[in-house]
Formats: sequence, structure tokens, C-alpha cells
Amino acid sequence: MQFSIQPSAAEPIYRQIVAQVRRHVASGQWRAGEELPSVRALAQAHAINPMTVSKAYSLLEAEGLLERRRGMGMVIAAVKPTSRASQRLPLLAPALQAAALQAAQLGLSADDALALFKRCLQDQARGDPDDDQP
Amino acid sequence: MTSLESALESAVQTHDLTLRYGGRSALEGVSLQVPHGAVVGLVGRNGAGKSTLLRCLLGLTLPDSGSSTLLGCHSAALDDGTRGRIGYVSQTGDLLPWLKVWQHIAYIGSFYPAWQAERAHRLCQRLALREDAKVAALSVGDQQKLALVMALAHDPDLLFLDEPVASLDALARREFMRLLFEHDTTRQAPRTVLLSSHLLTDLERVVSHVVLLHEGRVRLQGAWDALQEQHHQALEDLFVAVST
Repeated sequence: MQFSIQPSAAEPIYRQIVAQVRRHVASGQWRAGEELPSVRALAQAHAINPMTVSKAYSLLEAEGLLERRRGMGMVIAAVKPTSRASQRLPLLAPALQAAALQAAQLGLSADDALALFKRCLQDQARGDPDDDQP
Repeated sequence: MTSLESALESAVQTHDLTLRYGGRSALEGVSLQVPHGAVVGLVGRNGAGKSTLLRCLLGLTLPDSGSSTLLGCHSAALDDGTRGRIGYVSQTGDLLPWLKVWQHIAYIGSFYPAWQAERAHRLCQRLALREDAKVAALSVGDQQKLALVMALAHDPDLLFLDEPVASLDALARREFMRLLFEHDTTRQAPRTVLLSSHLLTDLERVVSHVVLLHEGRVRLQGAWDALQEQHHQALEDLFVAVST
């Protein structure tokens, strides 16, 4: 389970973790019963405050997306993934709206911005890492 | 004081702390409450009062008025028991240059009951600090690493760090961030940390609270997540907004 943490983003780190878990579960990429990294392990991996991870996990547990299993820590709860892509599409909207705003501020054409987005999608499919930008 | 009473108290508390140097306000009416386990980022320009605040908290400088307590103990009257629970890295490091690294560690360690040589050794390894080097021959970055080892090796309950990573390379800074949260498995309460740094990206990884100081006054303080959600800004933008 890979997490991508951007400490300097305007979005608090705990929200980034929550959003990533939601997305991966919605797409079915992370399945029920799969174990999440421990609070300590995730905090150490990204050199962040363990309380931040704890906060994210507690929120997801309260939402029912995660559950605490004895002797195991946090696992993905038995939640049906949102199977149709059209249902998952709205989850992408916030990121794209932010990108659209930046494109407008940079005075870029829609064609140029879309071509760039297409390249980024292709990079993702190839598995180019984008973790932990300074 | 019963353990319940001390548990309910803030780890660090200041009330109206004021210090003036020749007409200029180094600190002006600073009132803070730091809960146990908080990691507080102290943010401000050079001369905003960050170092002065840390020195007042530790009783190294006496304020003109106001008061502060650390772990329930008045800053001006810290007893040995409380001192032994505190770690401090000043901006200047305060090292003894004629010793070798391992000698320096052993010497300072002898003052702390909770010191563990094994822990100090592991910290040196994690920070890639050679123990047989002469302190005088260390680079500025390695001197900073040594200061950090000495502040952490007795597993302090309260840690004060004044620009602790300014001279460290990116790898060492990342490792330092991890070390802030490492402690004995026997430890019950989380460690409380106050750190000032210009490297805001690093602070953003680890802080739970921030205090923004400008010209000796607290301009903004609170839980970092809540402030971020309120202002929709990264720490750097908030810092700039408050300092102008």
C-alpha cells in the first residue's frame, strides 16, 4: 500500500491519507481484509507525526471504511467498492478543478492543459513514482 | 503534586512573558499553553523572538515580567529532576571542541539519570555521525548532529530545538524528523516538542501546533490542521501573511 504525502500542500496531511484510502477502496484496488501499515510504520516511512496518521485512521474507522482487528491493527472493512467508473468520477473532480484554476492563472489553452493531463495519465499507467515532492 | 495534577497541566505554559532590550520588544505579552504530546512549530523571522522565548522557557534568560512553567515547574526554579527530563539544542550547539564525539557523549551523559549509552550509539548511527571524530574537526552539519544526539539520548519528555536542522542535508533532516518520535517502548506519555525552524517544509511534516511570532508578539497560534483548514494555506504563506 503506497501513500503519497505532500507536506506543503494546502490540504492537511491527515486529509490526504483519508482521501487516498477512500479512493483506493472505492476503486476496489484495496480489498476488504487487507491490512494497513501500522501508525508507527506509516509515520516513519514518511517522516511525519504519528498523531497525524492516528487521526486519519480514526476518522476512517468512524466512517466504517477501516476496522480494528485484534492482533492485526487496522484493516479495510468489508465495504462494496463503487463498481461503476461513473460513480467514482466525482471523486476526481476536486483535483481537476484545482488544476483548471491553475491552468487559467497560467493562461494556458484547454487543448494544451488536456494534452498535459493525458501525458500525466500515461506516466501513471507506466508506474512513474510521484511520492513526496518537497 | 500528584501525578493526576501534573497530567492535567500543560507541558509548557507561559503567562504574559515580556522582555525588552533597550526600548525594543524582544517578547511582548507572550501567553502560551502547550499540551502534553504536542509538537509545536515556532515560526517567525530572524529577530521575531523565537530564540529568546526558548531561552526564557529554560530559565537561561529572565523576562522583565510574566512567568512560565515547564512540566509544572517554574522556569526560574527548575529542579534537577525536571532538568533531567528536558533536552535542548541551541542555535549555537554549545559543544566542547577538545573532546572526541564518543567522549563528549559520555561526559554529558553522566549528568542524566535516564541516559543510555546504547541509545546514544544508535542515534549516532541513524544520523551517520562518526563517534571517533574530534568535535573540533566536525563539519557544521555534524556538530548539529552531535547536539541532537545529546538532546535525545536521555529520552526527554520535553524537547526544545532552536533551528535544529539548518545545517543538515536532506537525508539527515528526514532522519531527524523520524527520531523526534522515537522513544523507549516503556514510555507512557508522548514527548512534547517545541522547535523553531526556517525550513517550513520540514515543520509541516511533523507539527501538531504552530505559534507564529512577529516582533515579539504571538500573531497566530493553534492546532495546525485546524489553521490550515481555516486559512487554506501552506505554512509558508501563512507565515508571510502574518509577518507583513
